[in-house]
Amino acid sequence: MSTESRQPEREELNRLLIRTGRGDRRAFTELYARTSSILFGVCLRMLRDRAEAEEVLQETYTTAWRRAGSFDPARASAITWLVTLTRNKSIDRLRQHRDGRLEETTALAEIADDRPSPASAAETSEEYRRLERCLDGLEPRQNQSVREAFFTGATYNELAARMQVPAGTMKSWIRRSLIQLRACLET
Amino acid sequence: MNTSGDDDMPELRYAEYVLGVLDADARAAVARELETSAEAAVAVSLWQRRLTPLAERIAPMEPAPYIWTRILAALRPDAPDRRASGPGLWYDLRLWRWLGIGAGVTAIALAVMLIMPLGGRRPPAAGGLEYMAATIQQTNGITGWTATMDLHRGRMVVIPATPAALASGRAAELWLIPAGQRPIPVGMIARDAPTTIALAPATLARLGPTATLAVSEEPIGGSRTGAPTGPVIAKGAIGAAAVAARRRTDDHRVV
Repeated sequence: MSTESRQPEREELNRLLIRTGRGDRRAFTELYARTSSILFGVCLRMLRDRAEAEEVLQETYTTAWRRAGSFDPARASAITWLVTLTRNKSIDRLRQHRDGRLEETTALAEIADDRPSPASAAETSEEYRRLERCLDGLEPRQNQSVREAFFTGATYNELAARMQVPAGTMKSWIRRSLIQLRACLET
Repeated sequence: MNTSGDDDMPELRYAEYVLGVLDADARAAVARELETSAEAAVAVSLWQRRLTPLAERIAPMEPAPYIWTRILAALRPDAPDRRASGPGLWYDLRLWRWLGIGAGVTAIALAVMLIMPLGGRRPPAAGGLEYMAATIQQTNGITGWTATMDLHRGRMVVIPATPAALASGRAAELWLIPAGQRPIPVGMIARDAPTTIALAPATLARLGPTATLAVSEEPIGGSRTGAPTGPVIAKGAIGAAAVAARRRTDDHRVV
């Protein structure tokens, strides 16, 4: 789908989330039918544990139902709102594990292998493709660190351990990357 | 740290928050700030717009159908039902209002469900009674059948409402159509009496709010090809029931 044909779907999701905010159960059911596989993919990718991913998915939708009234389509699209909520819940869950069990068992190479293959260009938004181009403009290890952070919700310390660099180095990599990304995305 | 100008520091904290690299304490501090500072909220939402599209790289994965039932159970407007699992649940009118099913049909569904033995089969995450339902509408707009699915017992009860007559030598066959997939035969259904169908695990796993039930006109005994051969005479989307009773209170994590 091109961006042009994705737009109606996006707007339909916005309408469904707005109606959900008014307590419309049928809209909520439809919203779930259209978005749950996307959000479950995010949960699984971040938590790497099916039972935990299921719990977080459930929390995400119960929170979405309760907070949908505060959704403002001028600020973010419904799908951005939902993915953000999912990532926040997943990161909170990861932080509860305190310094993560993943680090003990998961080598970086393993994570790199696990990286999902890029979605085909036809199925992605213009925003996604622009972000990919900007990320690929970063120095390779910094590019890898930002992606790793986004997909795994790892802290600076965890990222530093995975990439085998000092925490200070990781911080400056990420911060430099974020500034560079902002500039790239605004051009 | 030494590479970014000091002017960028507050802005960077919001970016770090959105990216997800902050530890629990720093994260909580930004979250608190978001509740009181409109400026912070705007900065964070801008970073969300910048970074969130990366999630499109993640392959979608269909969650198991029982997740939806758990969500509805957690969202029940009043206190969760703490009664022991059992037929009492079926008298809960909210379930039937949610499903939009009339009282006459309800009575028959109750009668049928109540006499069904509790089978050994359970859905993958046992611990709750889970129900789904569909109103199967005919092409003339009139409800032909209603189907109620008991995921715990692995049964479906299909109750005729006002099904249209079929040509002689023809019968109604029910199909489950998961979104974007080929129809799966469920069973032959009667026009004049409730039909109870045991659901195969593979069928059970595909029930969910993205699936549809459809009825096609087939030879007596059903389609011989495994796919519908006659015209589709009725169909309806599957909805989750709004009510689920918990067998124990401690297996139900309320958000």
